[in-house]
Amino acid sequence: MAKLRIQYENGEPERVIEFDPAKSPFHHDGKPGSILDVMLGHKLHLEHACGGNCACTTCHVIVKQGFNKLGEASEQEEDLLDKAPGLTPTSRLGCQAVITDPDAEIVIVVPRYTINQVSEAAEE
Amino acid sequence: MSVTAQGTAPRGRSTLTARIERLQDHCADTRSLFLALTDGRHLRFQPGQFISISIPLGDETRTRAYSIASSPEERGSFEICFNMIAGGRGVGWLFERKVGDSLELTGPFGTFSMERAPQVEIGLIAEGTAIAPIRPVLRRAIETGADAPIHLIYGADRDEHILYRADLDQAAKRATNFSHEIVIAPAEQLHERLREIANRRWIAADANRTRQFWICGVGPAVIKLRDLLRGAGYERRAVHYEQW
Repeated sequence: MAKLRIQYENGEPERVIEFDPAKSPFHHDGKPGSILDVMLGHKLHLEHACGGNCACTTCHVIVKQGFNKLGEASEQEEDLLDKAPGLTPTSRLGCQAVITDPDAEIVIVVPRYTINQVSEAAEE
Repeated sequence: MSVTAQGTAPRGRSTLTARIERLQDHCADTRSLFLALTDGRHLRFQPGQFISISIPLGDETRTRAYSIASSPEERGSFEICFNMIAGGRGVGWLFERKVGDSLELTGPFGTFSMERAPQVEIGLIAEGTAIAPIRPVLRRAIETGADAPIHLIYGADRDEHILYRADLDQAAKRATNFSHEIVIAPAEQLHERLREIANRRWIAADANRTRQFWICGVGPAVIKLRDLLRGAGYERRAVHYEQW
């Protein structure tokens, strides 16, 4: 079984999901077997404002362990990540980072903010 | 499979509620909704951004993104437009909404936007309803750009799927540096036509590689256009694109 450990920069308690990658998709948004797919399929929320279509950065996660176990990032994902706040060398978009290795142990951090979050979306 | 966790799973950002003020059918399968926030405030966004609408389907709620087709400068309501997709349950639900209904949404989102026009020639490419984010981008480009040319290549599989034609014609009359061309071609040929035109106009015609581009469409054709332009020598960050 693969293991996905999710830590939250805002201090929310850590979650751990154990799953069989061969059983993907678990949900309907993001690439099948992606971090987003796995989390939504196990009823853990991860922002995905564009519906998991690689058109925003709201599912930005930082991979702390197992980066090389994830499917390679496309140019489109890299283009979007360029605009993600708090970008790190191991940043990925949750909707695009696919876990296929059944023995993978992935640790991610969900950042507090995203570039697309407008603190006050409406004005008088 | 298992999940171990403590406490409640973190949820997303605050939700806005908007009322459908008006709807407009562009043709049998393409519609615009004009939305106004129920608390009376004005949605603040950048040209090119989208909102995410919560769509109840069965016992769950899905998030679906819709580009804002109006400009931030337009007060009151803002516009989204969409077309019916075979088997598209989310958009089917949206088509069933009536004037006066409320929608739950979050946003705005998206980095495919233009705050101020670059002071260089601008190329815009869109197909069908993907003109939605390009429309406010065009307006911003005209209002904040230099007098450098702005050219839009806009394609669809049939004439009725060309939206905002009168607006585009009007813009071309008003702004002498703006021009546009409409491409009607069968769906299986449309993307190739768009690439041919882009190639002829912005690659083969000259050695100028200072232009910037905003491209929006559906499917891998957008990526092919991106690769065509970047492969021809345009800077990576000069080619902005959004693929749905």
